[in-house]
Amino acid sequence: MPTGDAPPLGTNIEGEEPDVEPTVETDEATYTDDAELERTIGLSGGLAIGVGTMIGAGIFVFPGLAAGQAGPAAAGSFAIGGVVALLVALPTSELATAMPKSGGGYYFISRGLGTLPGAVVGLSLWFGLVFATAFYLVGFGYYAIDTLAVLGIALGGQYVVPIALAFGAGFTLLNVTGTENAAKLQNGVVALLLSILAVVLLWGVLNAVGLVGRPSTPERFMPFGPFPVLTTAALVFTSYLGFAQVATVAGEMKRPGRNLPLAMTGSVLVVGTLYVVTIFVATSAFESATLASLGETAMVDVGRHYLGGAGALAIVVGGLLATMSSANASILSTSRAIYAVSKDALLPRWASRINLKYGTPHVALGMAGGPVLVLVATGRVEVLAEVASFLHLVLYGLMCVALLVLRRDEPDWYDPDFRTPGYPVVPVLGALASFALIGFMRPLSQAIGLGIMLVTAGWYAYYARDVSLKGAL
Amino acid sequence: MTRVVVPVAVLENEAVSFGLMNLLGTMDVTVLGYHVLPEQTPPDQARLQYEERANEALTDITEEFREAGGAADYRLVFTGDRAKTVRRVADEVDARAFAITGATGTVDRLLVSLSGDVAAERILDFVIELVGDRDIGVTLLRVADDEETTTLSDAQARLADAGVDAQTVLAEEASPLDALLAAVPDHDAIVMGEQAPSLQSFLLGDVTDRVAAGSVGPVLVVRQPPAGQE
Repeated sequence: MPTGDAPPLGTNIEGEEPDVEPTVETDEATYTDDAELERTIGLSGGLAIGVGTMIGAGIFVFPGLAAGQAGPAAAGSFAIGGVVALLVALPTSELATAMPKSGGGYYFISRGLGTLPGAVVGLSLWFGLVFATAFYLVGFGYYAIDTLAVLGIALGGQYVVPIALAFGAGFTLLNVTGTENAAKLQNGVVALLLSILAVVLLWGVLNAVGLVGRPSTPERFMPFGPFPVLTTAALVFTSYLGFAQVATVAGEMKRPGRNLPLAMTGSVLVVGTLYVVTIFVATSAFESATLASLGETAMVDVGRHYLGGAGALAIVVGGLLATMSSANASILSTSRAIYAVSKDALLPRWASRINLKYGTPHVALGMAGGPVLVLVATGRVEVLAEVASFLHLVLYGLMCVALLVLRRDEPDWYDPDFRTPGYPVVPVLGALASFALIGFMRPLSQAIGLGIMLVTAGWYAYYARDVSLKGAL
Repeated sequence: MTRVVVPVAVLENEAVSFGLMNLLGTMDVTVLGYHVLPEQTPPDQARLQYEERANEALTDITEEFREAGGAADYRLVFTGDRAKTVRRVADEVDARAFAITGATGTVDRLLVSLSGDVAAERILDFVIELVGDRDIGVTLLRVADDEETTTLSDAQARLADAGVDAQTVLAEEASPLDALLAAVPDHDAIVMGEQAPSLQSFLLGDVTDRVAAGSVGPVLVVRQPPAGQE
C-alpha cells in the first residue's frame, strides 16, 4: 500500500536502486502510479503451471530409481514428500495472497526477512531452477531414446545427453522468439497427460489388486528398512518442485485471493495422489530390483506389462510430453526469478531487459538456458535432482519462517486473504521438514547446494550490501 | 457526457486518424494505451522498461483528442489479453462504446448496422449523440430475414426526430457481415453493436474484429447494456 515516507532502499554497487512502486491490487489488475497490469491467468492456468511443472519427474523418471532404493515403500517416500509439500504450500498460499506480486518465494523472503536471506534465496532459486530444468531435460532425453526404440529405431544411451542438449537449446530459443500462446498448448498437454495416466493407472490398480489379469507377486513392503524411505523421500522431493512456481505468476493471477491457494494446494494434491498410485502400480508389476535395473524409463516397461505395446507407447508419449512441459515451465520460471532479483537491484538491471520485437525477456532467458546446457552435459540425473531440491527446500523452509515472522509482527500492510489453517503448527512443521529433508541427501549434493548459497551470499556482500528490502512493498 | 474508449497499441506506434478524432469530438474519450505481452514476459517487466515512453506518446494522443473537441484522458495497460483489458477498462470508465481505429479523412457518412440480435435503441441513441448538430449522413442497414421488432423505418423516424438525416438499406445478403462489408464503400466509418457471444462468433473470431479487417475505416462498437440493467 502506498506510504508517504518510505524508508530509503539503498543502491547496489552500480548505483541502481530497487524499483519499488506503490500499487493498488484488485482481482482483475494491478494499478501503479502511471500504468496498469492486467491479470490474465485463471485457476486452470495456475493449476496447469503447478501440475505441468511437477508431473514430469515424479511419474516418468523416478519410479525405477525410487523403488530400487526403498522397495514398494517408495510409495511412502512420495507420500512423505507430498505431506511436506502441502505443509509448505499452505504458508506459501497465505504469503502469496498477502503479496500477490511476481517473484514468488523470493519476494516473500526479501520483504519478510530482509535483503541477505532474500538475495541468497533469490539467486539460489535461479540456480535451483537451472538444476531442475537440466534434470527434466535429461529425463526427456531418456524418453526420446525410448520413443525411438518403441518405433523400431535403436539408438544407444550415449545419445541421451546430445538430445537433451539440442532440446534445451531449442526451448530457450523458442521462448525468446515464440509469441504464440503457448499457455493454451500447455493446458492441453497437461489435460492429455492426465488422461493417459488415468487410463494406465486405473488399469494397473485393477490388475494389482487382482480384479483383472493375473495376481501380482507379493514383495516385502520395506525390503531395505525404514531409513531408505527417508533418503528416497529427499531424492524424489524434486517431483514436488512446482507448486511454488505458481507464486511466481502471482502478479498475473485473476482473483489471487481465491485462485492462488486453490492452484497451489490443488496441484500438490493432484500430483501427490498420482505419484503414490504410480509407485503402487509399478511395484506391483515388477520387483524393486527389476525396476531399479530398468532405470529412468522403468514406467515404459510397467505400461507394457499391463497393456502391451499400446501401454508402452502411451507411457513414452506421456513421458515425452511431461518432461518437455516440466522443462519448459521451469525455463519460464527461471526467467521470472532473474527478473525479480534484477528489479530489486540484486543483479544488474540489464538482466531484465526485454526486446520490443518479440516482447520477450531474452537476457533472462539466456541466463536460464545457458547454464542449463552446461549441467545437462554432466548427465547426472540424481545429483541434478537433489541439488535442485536442496535449493528449493531452503527456499521453502525460509518461506515458513517468513510467515512466522510476519504473523508475529503483523505489519500494517500484512493483510492476506487466505490464512493458513493449523497455525503455527503447519509452518513450524513445514520449516522443520524442509530442512530435515536436506539432511538425507547425498554429501555431494549437499556440498554443491551449500557452495551455491555461499557464492550468492558473497555476491550480495560484494554487489548489493547497501540495498534494503525488508518491508519495501 | 457519453464516453468512448479508444484502444491504441501505443508501443507499436499505432496512430489515430484525424477523421476519427473529429468524429469523436462530441464524446468524452478515454485513450486506452495497451501493450500486449507474450506469456514469457511479466507485465510488470514491460512496465519497468516502456512506461515512460508509452506515457509520452499517450499524452500527445490525448492532447490531440482534446483539441478535436471532447474531454479526454488516458490509461496505460500492460496485458497478456487485449480483449479482457478493453472490456475491463470500458466497464471501469462506464463507456458506451469502444473504437477500432482505422484510416479515414473527414467523416461525412456513417454506416450503422442494426442486423442481428443487438440493442437497437442503444445504438440509435449513441448515433444521435455522436452526430449531434453536425452535417453527417447516416445509412441504416439490416439484413432482410431478420425478425426484429424495431423496423428500419421506425429507426429512421427516430433519427429524423433528433434531426439526423438517415437512409435505409434492407440487404439481401444472408450474412449480416457480408451485408455490412458490401455496404462499406461510400461510408467513412461504421457503427455497430457488440453481439452477444454466439456459437458463430466463437468459431470464427470476433465479428467486430472481422469487420475492421474487411473495412479500412474506423469502427465504433456500441457495448451491450451492463447485466441486470436494460
